[in-house]
Amino acid sequence: MRKVAVVGGGATRCGKREATWRELAQEAGKAMFDSVMNLSPNDVEALLVGAAQPERFTFQVHVAPLVAECLGIKPTKVIAKTELMCASGQAALRYAWACVASGLCDVAVAFGVEKMYMQNMAEAQTNMTCVLDREWDGVNAMSAPPFFAMTAQRHMHEFETTEEQMALVSVKNHHYSTMNPIAQFQKEVSIEKVLQSFMIAPPLKLFDCSGITDGAAGVVLVPAEDASKYTDTPMLIAGSGQANIGNAVNNLASISEWIPLKLAVREALRTAKISLADIDIAELHDCFTISELMEYEAFGWCDRGKGGKFIEEGEPYIGGTVAVNPRGGLLGCGHPLGATAILQSLDIMKQFQGDVPSGRLVKDAEVAVAHNLSGAANVHSLMVYRRG
Amino acid sequence: MKDDIEKIAQPEKITLPQMLDFYPLEDEKNTRISQFFQNLKMGHLTTTKCKSCRSVLWPPRVVCSNCMSDDLEWVNLGTEGELYAFTEMKAGAPLGFEKDLPFCIGLVKIGGLLLSSRIDGVRYEDLKIGQKVQLKVVELENDGRVFYRFKV
Repeated sequence: MRKVAVVGGGATRCGKREATWRELAQEAGKAMFDSVMNLSPNDVEALLVGAAQPERFTFQVHVAPLVAECLGIKPTKVIAKTELMCASGQAALRYAWACVASGLCDVAVAFGVEKMYMQNMAEAQTNMTCVLDREWDGVNAMSAPPFFAMTAQRHMHEFETTEEQMALVSVKNHHYSTMNPIAQFQKEVSIEKVLQSFMIAPPLKLFDCSGITDGAAGVVLVPAEDASKYTDTPMLIAGSGQANIGNAVNNLASISEWIPLKLAVREALRTAKISLADIDIAELHDCFTISELMEYEAFGWCDRGKGGKFIEEGEPYIGGTVAVNPRGGLLGCGHPLGATAILQSLDIMKQFQGDVPSGRLVKDAEVAVAHNLSGAANVHSLMVYRRG
Repeated sequence: MKDDIEKIAQPEKITLPQMLDFYPLEDEKNTRISQFFQNLKMGHLTTTKCKSCRSVLWPPRVVCSNCMSDDLEWVNLGTEGELYAFTEMKAGAPLGFEKDLPFCIGLVKIGGLLLSSRIDGVRYEDLKIGQKVQLKVVELENDGRVFYRFKV
């Protein structure tokens, strides 16, 4: 396996965008090519496009060639869309990484696009209800909000986690997203504002939930030995982990503990040859506030059931045990499904380059992890990045 | 130039396509687990059990996910379950379910399984973890397909 570096990338502003799927792809593609010196679309041999549901949101399939055409890329080695719902972008990254690491190609682009705002938003909600097992869970209207609401209820029941502790995650991540110009949400929220926001599915309220978001992003991957051709400040891919147990809610390992995440963390640390204490930045998948609390626990930064206490004590803030979501997270930045993992990797790269506002800069960060979960938190995907 | 623009018709509404229908197709022409729905019509909630390794499988299957045997039998799960978790959909229901808002959804322990289900005829405030719930069968008015739910 060859060492692989990320040498640059670009993204759109995220949010409710007055732009089509392909326009978002063009914006992100231009930003990506503008950011990397000595790289033209003709150099790209592999293109992986993370997109969760373009067939439902935009009524378009075969989207990877559409991106290739829009960006003037003519892939000669690999081209495909990657779908892993909320981790679709990380799937693109993983395959692009594998393509370069294996020696199959020397320049790969991991891209992600999602256009989630539709003319009829009930249709968007419908799309999100075929993510879990549609015939046996979706049929009961089981989409992400009710599933994670029940996850939160079990966590509260078993460990006395409170709604205030969950709200703290939203407060923290909205705080950091005010310093991220491409984030969907640019305003601070208080605990009271979170607690008093519209009830979506109890105990989850509006500000416990990540938004519906349009956005796109892309990054360029090359062999580490070639990185200096494209940038003076590359980011290395140091390791990865991914694990899946079950699909339908009956077949999950647990509701109140994310066992596949524990497995993925172990694998990520092993492949990156690091310990938990080495991680300076963690971009975690805070699709809902409860998710981030459970992720502190599964990573092992705190004991099982103590995620609420961990944030109460300020540990996931910059300067604490580990800086969690200094980008602003999904709660602050929005969650354009296929683009999310690419946006995380781009922001980590900017952190390593010192190119983020000082209020959310993790000084001298060397090691970062990016995490995405998908489905009923049955799949967990992790990448480990290191300053190049 | 504006006079040359031809107006063409576009239907205002399109009938809900089958693939946006959440309920499984249940007849023998469409599925090999039609027996599940026939049993449900008789008031029995059933699933498949592997005759080879004895695993009880949910959702019902045609191949055992534990040992790959295709020698499966139907077993009855009973009619009383216990509420493991629940919430109430207040907004954001998919097409076809909007008229039901608000409605409760739960995870129900029954026959050693954990099933997701609608919990009918009750509000969130009235439910408790561990509460007993009873099987209920619903039938789609338009084509007679059935599905399970639970009620208090």
